[in-house]
Amino acid sequence: MDFQLTEEQALVQQNAREFAQTYCEPIAAEIDKTGRHPEETIKQLIAHDYMGMIYPEEYGGAEADYLSYILMVEEISRVCASTGIIYSAHISLSMNPIYKWGSEELKQKYLVPMCKGEKLGAFALTEPGAGTDAASGTCTATLDGAEYILNGTKCFITNGGIADVYTIFALTDPAKGVKGLSCFVVEKNTPGFEIGKHEDKMGIRGSHTSELIFKNCHIPKENLVGEEGKGFKYAMMTLDGGRIGVAAQALGIAQGALDEAVKFAKERVQFGKPIATKQAIQWMLADMETQLQAARFLVYNAAETAGRGVAFSKEAAMAKLFAAEAAEFICSKAIQIHGGYGFIKDFKVERFYRDQRITAIYEGTSEVQRMVIAGSLLR
Amino acid sequence: MKIIVCYKWVPDEQDIKIAADLKVDMSMAKWKISEYDKNAIEEAALQAENNAAEVTCLTFGTSKAKQSLKDALSRGPEKAYWVNDAKAENTDGFVTANILAAAIKKVGIPDLIFFGEGSEDSYGQQVGPRVAALLDIPALTFVTKTAVKDDAITTTRSIGNCTEDVTASFPAVVCMLPEINKPRIPSLKQVLKASKKPVEEIKLADLGLSDAELTVKNKVKSIQGFVMNRKNKLYQDGSSAEKVKALVSDLAKEGLA
Repeated sequence: MDFQLTEEQALVQQNAREFAQTYCEPIAAEIDKTGRHPEETIKQLIAHDYMGMIYPEEYGGAEADYLSYILMVEEISRVCASTGIIYSAHISLSMNPIYKWGSEELKQKYLVPMCKGEKLGAFALTEPGAGTDAASGTCTATLDGAEYILNGTKCFITNGGIADVYTIFALTDPAKGVKGLSCFVVEKNTPGFEIGKHEDKMGIRGSHTSELIFKNCHIPKENLVGEEGKGFKYAMMTLDGGRIGVAAQALGIAQGALDEAVKFAKERVQFGKPIATKQAIQWMLADMETQLQAARFLVYNAAETAGRGVAFSKEAAMAKLFAAEAAEFICSKAIQIHGGYGFIKDFKVERFYRDQRITAIYEGTSEVQRMVIAGSLLR
Repeated sequence: MKIIVCYKWVPDEQDIKIAADLKVDMSMAKWKISEYDKNAIEEAALQAENNAAEVTCLTFGTSKAKQSLKDALSRGPEKAYWVNDAKAENTDGFVTANILAAAIKKVGIPDLIFFGEGSEDSYGQQVGPRVAALLDIPALTFVTKTAVKDDAITTTRSIGNCTEDVTASFPAVVCMLPEINKPRIPSLKQVLKASKKPVEEIKLADLGLSDAELTVKNKVKSIQGFVMNRKNKLYQDGSSAEKVKALVSDLAKEGLA
């Protein structure tokens, strides 16, 4: 058993860190404040070959291993969690179904430009009445000759309104419930497809979260991903991967908060000495680091398991559950160490605290992760 | 056109701690390619892109410098040469230049040899010109611009408050200032490709250098941190003339005016 990154992974990590520091960090506070989509960062992600990171070179990807991708999400999120999720929603959620189950024609039409970064992706499963209970959706897709006609509403969609390609789930046979769910690719600007409300969020404010509205939206029959009725399976398998991405995002936020806490503790002088000399602060830092490293091992282990091509649902769920809860603890303590300054927007820990909160909710709440873990134990 | 770009693996200055007694603690420092040498590597990469130059890189370092090789390769060079010896721990410009010049002779003198103007740690500015002298070829230092035509390189040298354009025919040594370019962050594909590029380790014993050539001329007795103590005195009271007077009087007390 080897807990070391390979030479290649260490080099990708260093590259990711340099990328994040150069392009993501300088605008992180601004996009949080304004809610602006960081278009310029996407351009740099394209220029640096990151948009198709884990996909084969034949589709324009870079063919990096899964852990390297997780390191990239972690490093971006360490300075800007908004950019972290914009990126991981594109890479793992939106592209994975097309790559895994899409026809060669769909791959050429969508995966190739997505790998090149010419098109940004989004993933749409959640509906106003179907969150954790994803099977209770009402969005429908009706086959009509050479086309499917989509009707319904999706909500809380990351990259909604910004993305060019949407991997969406709709019922082709509502009577069959989850067994009637299918997966489709819908392009932006398709008649009948509108972007609804943009959410005004607590955190990850630089990432756009929007409603998608389908009103008699006609798409070619060929845009069905894989087989009809397999959508629920595809969505769940894709979310397993997405969860490692969210876990890496939580890990990055937590590391960013700990970095700031250590720096502040060394600089802040009270009673004539840096507060880092006080045991009360040292114990907090020790607990934060321990939680962080435990989360890191779970996240990297999940990524390595996924990279080996074996089942990883439980590993992904444990990684996300633990990393999200560790991030909340670490960000909270980072604010505590900052005292009153931690409550002020001038200090990064204020943003990190707001940004981490979603990691225990999206792509399956912590409760869903526990269901997955328990389900695997009690099988 | 063939280019060898030389670089040094140095401690990251951000991680160097200076204790209250001014002792320098580098034990926590991460190591990196000297920033000035990154400019030299970038300039070589530009020559590869624009003039189809064949670029290799060369470093003299301890076993720790192994970590630098793939990093350097991700920035453009197609092959890395590494003179691996513990002597690099306590070297100086004289010894380093002897070793690099011998290594360059061994692998074949290229058309151009690139250096950063100085290394980020000691900034002796010795190695480039010394290598040129040892190889008996021209050295162009303080370079802020290069242009290659046929078998010659024209450089703009930034010297004091003026510049001069100097042309040298191949082979030549070129030492660059940081303003020459902005080193790019390698792309992911460059990073992944780097791990497949060849590295050749050169043993010091194979370079045929004498003991005298491997004996340092300069010895570091101790290193102390430099702390600039600021008085942070504000001249707030009185008219401008009075404030200037007070400032001049204080400077005079310090022996500065």
